[in-house]
Amino acid sequence: MVYELSSPEQWLQTHGDVLYRFGLARVREPEVAEDLVQETLLAALKAQQNYSGKASERTWLIGILKHKMIDYFRKQTRQNTQEFDDELLNNDAEYFDQTGHWQIDFSSWSKPDKSVEQEQFLQVLEQCISRLPARMAQLFMLREFEDMSSDEICQLMSISSMNNFWVMLSRVRGQLRHCLDLNWNNA
Amino acid sequence: MLTCKEVSYLASKKLDKKLSLGERLGLILHTAMCGMCRHYVRDIEVLHQLMLKAGKKGQALLPDSAKLSAQSRERIKQALDKALHANDKTN
Repeated sequence: MVYELSSPEQWLQTHGDVLYRFGLARVREPEVAEDLVQETLLAALKAQQNYSGKASERTWLIGILKHKMIDYFRKQTRQNTQEFDDELLNNDAEYFDQTGHWQIDFSSWSKPDKSVEQEQFLQVLEQCISRLPARMAQLFMLREFEDMSSDEICQLMSISSMNNFWVMLSRVRGQLRHCLDLNWNNA
Repeated sequence: MLTCKEVSYLASKKLDKKLSLGERLGLILHTAMCGMCRHYVRDIEVLHQLMLKAGKKGQALLPDSAKLSAQSRERIKQALDKALHANDKTN
């Protein structure tokens, strides 16, 4: 099957919100996600002669959006991220006491098996992710949702060492687990 | 003996990288005796797997109610119109 592009005037109407949600889920900042939609459509306009018709219009646009998103992460310089990372790494997780033992109480959740349960689980999880600082949410989304490798993320997000990356990722997983503990069991 | 804090770190690292023999043994020994950490290890694995699965399926994660604002939609429309217009001139 060979796909064809619709006229560019229709792209915003047809795909705007889908592109916005795709970007927002990953960059976690509405203004950035809006800019990404604009940059994507403008780039698509220039690139439309190269469209091969192998992928649907939407898949093609999302591919362009992914490139724009990578550019956005690259542009965040080390100066902008250093402070956040340092503070995070220096502040110990609030879940442990001085001796490194849990100081919160929890049980395990029931694993969501049915697809309806998994839908609900993801809804609660999404709310938990949206409460995280953007940088932590970005890190988590690239690793867990995009399945990007640790090395790639470290480079892309200017994280100074693999060890720092693992500490940050461990911290964000712990926070999300805790948030789910409070909101999922009761859901 | 590892602390719970160290175990939480290793449990997370284990999802990204093969742990060393020493790390693996430490994790096994600790979780054999600590119920909280057993829960923790299991929970973040479930979290990891469900997210991966949702990502692979191309699930949106955000609800359909998350939309471009009217304002930004208008701004993007204008930017596109301008670019389209510029194309007309060069053609």
